[in-house]
Amino acid sequence: MKQNEVITGQDFREMFACATAWLEKSASDIDALNVFPVPDGDTGTNMLLTMHSCMEEAYRAPDNSTSAIAQAIGKGALMGARGNSGVILSQILRGLAQDMAGKESLTGADFASALEEASRMAYKGLSNPVEGTILTVIKDAASAAQKLVSEGETSLISVMEAAVNAANESVANTPALLPILKESGVVDAGGQGLYTLLEGALHYLRGEAEQIQFRKPQMVASSVPMTARPSEMIAADEVPFGYCTEFMLKGQKLKPDKVRTKLEKKGESLIVVGDDTTVRIHIHTLDPGDIIHYAASLGTMHQISIRNMDEQHRDFLEMQKDKAPAVDIAIVAVVSGNGLAEVFSSLGVTAIVPGGQTMNPSTKDILHAIESTVSDKVIVLPNNKNIVLTAEQVTSLTNKDIEIVATETIPQGVAALLAFDFEADLTTNARLMRQAMPAVRSVEITRAVRSTKINGMKIKRKQAIGLLDGELVTVGDDTNSVLCDTLAKLDLDNKEIVTIYFGTDTEQTEAEQASIAIREQHPQLQVEVIRGDQPHYHYIVSVE
Amino acid sequence: MTVRIVTDSLSDITDENSGGVDITIVPLTVLFGRETYIDRVTITTEEFYRRLTTQNILPSTTQPTPQAFADVYNRLAEETDEILVITLSSKLSGTYQSAMGAIEMMEKQCRVEVIDSETVAMGLGLVVLAAARAAQEGMKLDELVHFVHQALPRTHFIVYFDTLKYLAKGGRIGKAQGMLGAMLSVKPILTIKEGEISPVTRVRSQAAGIEYLYNFVTSFQHIEALAVEHSTQPEAAERLVDRLSASFPDKPIVRSIVSPVLGVHAGPNAIAATVLEGT
Repeated sequence: MKQNEVITGQDFREMFACATAWLEKSASDIDALNVFPVPDGDTGTNMLLTMHSCMEEAYRAPDNSTSAIAQAIGKGALMGARGNSGVILSQILRGLAQDMAGKESLTGADFASALEEASRMAYKGLSNPVEGTILTVIKDAASAAQKLVSEGETSLISVMEAAVNAANESVANTPALLPILKESGVVDAGGQGLYTLLEGALHYLRGEAEQIQFRKPQMVASSVPMTARPSEMIAADEVPFGYCTEFMLKGQKLKPDKVRTKLEKKGESLIVVGDDTTVRIHIHTLDPGDIIHYAASLGTMHQISIRNMDEQHRDFLEMQKDKAPAVDIAIVAVVSGNGLAEVFSSLGVTAIVPGGQTMNPSTKDILHAIESTVSDKVIVLPNNKNIVLTAEQVTSLTNKDIEIVATETIPQGVAALLAFDFEADLTTNARLMRQAMPAVRSVEITRAVRSTKINGMKIKRKQAIGLLDGELVTVGDDTNSVLCDTLAKLDLDNKEIVTIYFGTDTEQTEAEQASIAIREQHPQLQVEVIRGDQPHYHYIVSVE
Repeated sequence: MTVRIVTDSLSDITDENSGGVDITIVPLTVLFGRETYIDRVTITTEEFYRRLTTQNILPSTTQPTPQAFADVYNRLAEETDEILVITLSSKLSGTYQSAMGAIEMMEKQCRVEVIDSETVAMGLGLVVLAAARAAQEGMKLDELVHFVHQALPRTHFIVYFDTLKYLAKGGRIGKAQGMLGAMLSVKPILTIKEGEISPVTRVRSQAAGIEYLYNFVTSFQHIEALAVEHSTQPEAAERLVDRLSASFPDKPIVRSIVSPVLGVHAGPNAIAATVLEGT
């Protein structure tokens, strides 16, 4: 199959078979991503079983028209849908089928239109659609496909490519939309599953069905940094997940919308899909008996499955333990401000101790963070002169091997963190990190808390003051001018990168203006402006 | 009869840098959407990087088919009775499988040995070049296999990437996953470890990256061969070459361009250095 502009029914079926085979190769990897709505680790498997049911029906289709095969796939999806993601996938497939009714073959425009319908159906089945999931991925894929068609593209393979690319980006972005994904450092499992299916279909259209037996789908990497949670927040979540209850209901005049409204308050992750004679129901509930009782009053129940999700979750945690990357050396950093905490986490810090100037953490706080890490080798970055001593106290209070890399400023902390060598041992890393510290100069701009005279400068209370590596060197009324004056004390012509972290008291536009002013004077410099959210300091600036 | 040496286009060996030794290269394929190109045959590296950086389409790559290897084996079998194939890491591409699969498809009688180098680029290239010279001097297949297995652990490949964007999109990020999503602009230094892409450290500028590469190379006591590669910036690579030539005046430095197949993941402005450690 090359140069696919249009495909007919048999190709359409083979395309689905290829997509299913591609999904099968990564089902267990997708299981491992599963944290939402319940971390029970079965998303990939459920999607795959749903696809198997579709393919069984597809081979039983009455004729080989695209329409007949699509209808068969849609029917198979409803009959065999398993789990949360499986049921949403079944809605997607039924949407595709519905839009393709009566079609002999499939063009790029047909496919784009079918994707739109699929997206609409997927949202429709849920009483409470959540973004950052498979829903967002089908929506983004559909709109990319539709956009290409509206630009005049007709070939199926091009439309599929657009859908695959959009799905990839959409999956990578799911952690930005769904906080639990971000905290867990994963992309959405259902979204990944859908992307894998589309990619498998594209492989078929490209004529690569044979070659893919040697290859394996890749998991999409998150485009959003993982957030290390402050150590005190890492406590076990003890809310029970209850029972994942699902079955097919057959009867007359079932009215899925009415069933959905009736069940809405009875649990989480409710999905009710189907038509007046066949309805598939999926719900996470603490009382499955209640649901079954209600359903029995409407018709007959089939393929009933009730699973204890707390048990599944425990198994999932075991599985995660095996899959999680071994953190040989953990890094604990003392940081204040959400922005700075994100910067440090994104660079690999395992636990953050909130604190800094005027709010020094206690030895116990730091100890607690150290103990919360899974590693028995820990590097501590105090990031403040006044915290170094406190941090050093910890060494004698724990059985873990501790290295205190005595960073006195945030820029030193970042420089030390960057120098971390993934191949080296604890002592070597501590040495490398210490060596990296002098390469960076730290500038801090804050306000004087009282009137005084230092280094021959007369300072009034609340005036802006500039510190260079902790030494007070400038004073003035305007924050940005003080920043520029302080930077002027450095030989900026021989520097490469200036990173400005602006604090809670500073507007982003103000920081941008400072950045422009610096670049105008020193065009060779690379200047980055980052929200640090730190209190007290208008600016913390690293110059290297 | 001389043992013939076969490798893939990921070795970054070209007619210009091979020093005239006899090596047969089986190219991988680069796909820009539906357009298919043969690595370094129907697309030049320069043209590839121009398209990579100016067009909004992310290329993908595929391994050579078993048939492509079988054709090469059959052709070489006319002239020799022993062939040694050294491929890039089997964890990064199915090339090794194709090279293995092709053995059964051969029509001629000829011994073929296939070695998975577990590395890429000049990490592979320097070993292939050494093997080709040894073959030319008359080393036989069994000895050559031993020779290559001895040499592979002594080759150290390290690469500076200007961005992890391309590696992440291609899904080959391996253990460098943790480097993604940094809130600052950081540039990764990566290596190949047990066949997979693996993080070494991070720097904040290309100058710092080149400094790191220089310090890495000079940290070796005994050096047998060196290579320096770039993706889009020959002048930056030359700066590294100049410094290394000054430190190691008697060592020739093999220059190459990172193959488009690797370039799909490396992206623009990458610089790589490889050391073949002496014994």
